[in-house]
Amino acid sequence: MNERRFELLKSAPLDSWVALSQDETRIVAVGRSYSEVVTLSEDAGVADPVLVKTPKEWLPISL
Amino acid sequence: MAPNFAVNHRLPYKKYPAPGGFYYAASIPAFIAVPGKNSPRSKRFDAIIDSGAASCLFHAAIGRALGLDIENGDLEYTQGVAGQSKVYLFDIALNVVGETILTRAGFSDELPIAGLLGMRGFFENFRITFDPASLHVELERFHHA
Repeated sequence: MNERRFELLKSAPLDSWVALSQDETRIVAVGRSYSEVVTLSEDAGVADPVLVKTPKEWLPISL
Repeated sequence: MAPNFAVNHRLPYKKYPAPGGFYYAASIPAFIAVPGKNSPRSKRFDAIIDSGAASCLFHAAIGRALGLDIENGDLEYTQGVAGQSKVYLFDIALNVVGETILTRAGFSDELPIAGLLGMRGFFENFRITFDPASLHVELERFHHA
């Protein structure tokens, strides 16, 4: 699952919200905002996705 | 009185893209709600466990979707390696690994990810063991007597 999830995140647009399926093995929706991706994932029939906010650039997190 | 340890969760680190490769982080799905009966809850989102964060911190868009008027929260300045940031504090119910925790958490539009699980609210309620050899994190919820 981890490798599949990693590949999905690599393929996802940056600075976006991505809705993954419950088992995190497929992308069910992508949106520019949290509200948009929630709507799109529900429209796709996935009521309980796992949302990932992709950063503007993938870098290790250090805040 | 000593805390009472109960539930134990062992979860794999997650792999994230990085320039030229990848990195691993301990992250888990979480969701939040405004405290109160029948309050709406967020969708589950990816939250990174971060012992360097003083409190839990979430993207402001999640709070707005719950009806929080983010800019009217209590303003707090936080200091990170990238400099000072403004966060707005609200009391929320945090749910992770099936456990609900009431805490005061920060919200920010500047957060590059969905959520961070920090000291207040998360670390103060779990015994957390990072195991970089097996790429797993163990969480033991304890309840203060």
